[in-house]
Amino acid sequence: MKVRNLTIGRRLLLAGVAASAVVAAGLAAQPAAAQDKPLKIGFGMALTGGLAGAGKSALIGMQIWAEDVNSRGGLLGRKVELVYYDDQTNPATVPGLYTKLLDVDKVDFVVSGYGTNLIAPAMPIVIQRNKIFMGLFGLGNNEEYKYGRYFQILPAGPQPRRGISSDYFVIAKEKGMKKVAIIAADAEYAQNSAEGARLNAKEHGIEVVYDKSYPPPTADFSPIIRAINATNPDFVFAASYPPDSVGLVRALHEIGAAPTIKMFGGGMVGLQYASVADALGAKLNGIVNYDYYVAEPTLKFDAIEEFLTKYQPRAKAAGVDPLGHYLPPWSYAYLQVLGAAITATKSTDDKVLSDYIHKTAFKTVVGDVKFGPHGEWESHRVLFVQYKGIKDGAAIDAFAKPGARQIIKPEQYKTADWLSLDDGRKAMPK
Amino acid sequence: MKISVFWIGVAVALVVALLTPHVVTNEFYLRTAYTVLQFVVLATAWNILGGYGGYVNFGSAGFFAIGAYSAVFIYKLFPLFQVPDYMIFVMLPLGGVVAAVIGLGTGYLTLRLRGVYFSIATLALAVVLQTLVTNWHFVGGARGASILPPQTVPIFSTWGEFLFVLMAILAIASLAVARYIERSWIGRGLAAIRDNEEAAECMGVPTLKLKLIGCTVSGFLFGVAGAPLPYYVNYIEPVSAFNLVYAVNALAMPMIGGATTWIGPLLGAVVLGTAQEVARVTISSEMNLLIVGVLLVFFVIAAPDGFVGLARKYLGNRKSR
Repeated sequence: MKVRNLTIGRRLLLAGVAASAVVAAGLAAQPAAAQDKPLKIGFGMALTGGLAGAGKSALIGMQIWAEDVNSRGGLLGRKVELVYYDDQTNPATVPGLYTKLLDVDKVDFVVSGYGTNLIAPAMPIVIQRNKIFMGLFGLGNNEEYKYGRYFQILPAGPQPRRGISSDYFVIAKEKGMKKVAIIAADAEYAQNSAEGARLNAKEHGIEVVYDKSYPPPTADFSPIIRAINATNPDFVFAASYPPDSVGLVRALHEIGAAPTIKMFGGGMVGLQYASVADALGAKLNGIVNYDYYVAEPTLKFDAIEEFLTKYQPRAKAAGVDPLGHYLPPWSYAYLQVLGAAITATKSTDDKVLSDYIHKTAFKTVVGDVKFGPHGEWESHRVLFVQYKGIKDGAAIDAFAKPGARQIIKPEQYKTADWLSLDDGRKAMPK
Repeated sequence: MKISVFWIGVAVALVVALLTPHVVTNEFYLRTAYTVLQFVVLATAWNILGGYGGYVNFGSAGFFAIGAYSAVFIYKLFPLFQVPDYMIFVMLPLGGVVAAVIGLGTGYLTLRLRGVYFSIATLALAVVLQTLVTNWHFVGGARGASILPPQTVPIFSTWGEFLFVLMAILAIASLAVARYIERSWIGRGLAAIRDNEEAAECMGVPTLKLKLIGCTVSGFLFGVAGAPLPYYVNYIEPVSAFNLVYAVNALAMPMIGGATTWIGPLLGAVVLGTAQEVARVTISSEMNLLIVGVLLVFFVIAAPDGFVGLARKYLGNRKSR
């Protein structure tokens, strides 16, 4: 009886030990399982609608970042997973998508879609949950909120409306131009940009002799160019969207600029896209316009060429911007900043990360990035380039190499001196 | 006193609407429900003139956006007088009244047109309104306007919960209004206009008066549906506020649900709205309008009277057996 009891006790003991081992193993495995959980980054992106072309190219940049990070073992030992939905370029879809990402998909971080209109509706939702929020090309989204965990990658500086055209007016001032004509589309970016241009003109004592808007569906820009010519400005600041930019450049070429006009361009969206540039060809020569990255020797940022080598074949297959100089490096960079902060702090805590991002300068594919108090760049770094020596039907090849878009401003990246519109048309890059 | 099933249903729906935020704490579902309920109001508003009276309005997005921009106007105006939050209770009726006045004005101007000409006129009205708003800088103009939600909401814990309950009450109220119109002399008169306007006129139906009432009530409901939009999106600009998607859905939902009764727009909006919202986060956003298009073509060919027509046909067949 005793022996039997002992036998039962031994079995019980063994079973108990085994069970304890299983439980202990399970408990030990729990943190490991948490480590295995992917780190989810959620966002809405314009994959259909008006900004779909740019949105798709931005998405490719973000996917390349995720693959690069995962090939190095992920972040904090966790694979990165991008969770995204199409916002249809429609702000009304954004609140629903971001609550889905945060409340249903339980993503670890949210980042913005492309553009001011699509960042704005996500802001209150993100602020309500005290999440860190990386913005992609928003213009002054945090001016009213002053939210401390918002960071925006567009290099327009602490006063983005002014920063976007600041150096264009500096060029005008330096070259003795005194009268400007401002023409802008009746839409968000263009109106913000025109407002900044007026302030810049005032600061530099430049008289605004023409200041008009046109509705976005405008097809014929000849009357606008004629009206501008009639005011004999020294230079023209145009804030336009891709179809309008094409229309304005064509009209300028057909009608010709007034003899007084020495500089044309400034804030024209679309000229940076290889496909748009290819459609315009030699008509671009002489124009001075903003840009964010060009293939000039002074812009040798960390791994930018490696990024573009990965991006370009994918873009070709997806039928989007084949060069990827405009938006994709920035969509890569805003995630790069977030990733670098997570790695450096070894934390996913929003406060820890935002504190770190505020005080750190980051090396990214778009150069050194340092944010100011309200999440805009500490100082603006918008490039102003002058188009030179582009031949019809060969713009994509020309854009891929140095020379076609020479940097006039800022000084630290300068690769050529400014030429007047007429001289720029004739000039060939050295 | 006899209480009809409808009013019991209204009471139950109100209780459910008020209790839902306490049961469903996930804000995503509340915001999705808000969107579907918004379409219930839009579809019901369209149906009063389009379904009961046979006057197809393509300018729904214009009336909806006017409601939204009336709210933005109040938002921009009130801070000048230092009036605190909860302006939405002023914005809602104002949005409705402004849209109703525009509806009445549109009625006077366009109701002598019929068929496709009336539809084109309403579409043109939406374009005119969009151009006006685009050039009105006080409400943001082409740049758009940011609307900051209040920090706290009474009774509810989040702004999303409040908006859901608000839109649920609006949806219930709009259905009650639509049902009243359908069963009153207004609805019967509008039905007579839909069947044959000349004959109705000859029989003494006050056609112009009825159409004006239809336009005004329809405009008011579009307006109140649009008024909370700035607080839902927190940023509003003309291109998205006047989006054709609102007009297409406001038309398609009653057509699919059944355009001659108050319950048709409800069914159409719930089925189509839910399908669109589910598709947006599962298959793809591109599917949204495809779903609307395919269902619309199917129903126009196979079931011109929508779900309600199908149900009547099915129930009628069963009774006759």
